[in-house]
Amino acid sequence: MGARLLAVGILACAVSMAVAQAGVDPSWVVPEKARQQQNPLKDKPDAALGGKKIFTRTCVTCHGDEKNARKNNAPNLGSEVVQAEPDGALFWRISNGNSRKGMPSFSSLPEPQRWQLVLYIRSLARK
Amino acid sequence: MRSFLAVLALLVASVVSSAAQGTPYFTTYDHTMEEPGNLELSTQTVIGLQKHDLPTYWAPLVEMEYGLTGWWSTALYLEGASANHDATVFTGYRLENRWKPLKSEHRINPVLYFEFEDIRGASRIQKEIVGFDGAQEERIRDQHGEREREIEGKLILSSNAKGWNIAENLIFEKNLSAFDEPTEFGYSFGVSRPLAMLASGKDCKFCRENFAAGVEMYGGLGDWDRFSLRDAAHYVAPVLAWQLGNSQQLKVSPGFGISSASQRMLLRFGYTYEIHGFGRMVSQMFGGK
Repeated sequence: MGARLLAVGILACAVSMAVAQAGVDPSWVVPEKARQQQNPLKDKPDAALGGKKIFTRTCVTCHGDEKNARKNNAPNLGSEVVQAEPDGALFWRISNGNSRKGMPSFSSLPEPQRWQLVLYIRSLARK
Repeated sequence: MRSFLAVLALLVASVVSSAAQGTPYFTTYDHTMEEPGNLELSTQTVIGLQKHDLPTYWAPLVEMEYGLTGWWSTALYLEGASANHDATVFTGYRLENRWKPLKSEHRINPVLYFEFEDIRGASRIQKEIVGFDGAQEERIRDQHGEREREIEGKLILSSNAKGWNIAENLIFEKNLSAFDEPTEFGYSFGVSRPLAMLASGKDCKFCRENFAAGVEMYGGLGDWDRFSLRDAAHYVAPVLAWQLGNSQQLKVSPGFGISSASQRMLLRFGYTYEIHGFGRMVSQMFGGK
């Protein structure tokens, strides 16, 4: 019984460490309504240039850029896990943050600028 | 003169080495926390223009704020005061902590604030107005011997919607050095908005999105014995901030006194520089990853 509990404990630790390594917080769940939101700037690819500017100012320190991968536990935004998220989910995560895991809320940026960020993050997808 | 130069050197050194992005407020706090691991260095200066031929004074403040976690920011303030034909003095320090209890964004976001102050009676910075704070009639040199140890709490409520920020602060302050004095109360309210909602693709200093404007209103609410707006100082202050690149911000605010207890004007200037990833840099210096 004791050995089984120990094994379960080790497994739980390993899973949580793997999740932490991947920078994913399983309790940070995006509401379904938010996931379905569409990017209003989708048809304006030029807006991504503005997104890059905001990205450099607010995101690079933790997430790194297209040349340099992440600099701490923050996930690489070009990774498949992040890129698999719908636009609405990325927008929600940027807007709400997750203060328990060190991700600030960027609700102080106007909504269009947060959508610009989403647009730019799409361009980071690994080719 | 030597102490004046010392305060000036402190101010200039902090400007050269240093400030951040955020709302343009001077006295109102919103729910934006310092990003974890970032160090924000800033200077603020208040020029107090008084009524009834009372002397104009100048009060500089240096702030070092660090993001300990996503929900906890801590700061140290050093302040001074100066007036013509009077004195230039260091007026003490303040230790500030802010905690954001809720994990994500809500319609109204509360933040709890606690500050310990060890300051002189000559303090002129007026980071907040409480009680029946009013004209500065006494000379700085006469007040410099008065030591005040105070604790201050704030309930910060703040909302972001459609590019606007609206923030309300309720303030209480207790002088621990004179425990029989009643607890004082104050308020600060701010509303602001960036001048453009979309970021342009150009790398520009004067683009509208780099500017944010708004207005603050702050003042005293009396004390425990007499909770009142009357006989307290109140100010209305337009605010303007200019984001210079990724790490620097300049801001200015003329605060107009609107009650008989107010000073004529509190003219505030601020400069902020943010050092991104400061915690990581320090950690690496000591062999961390």
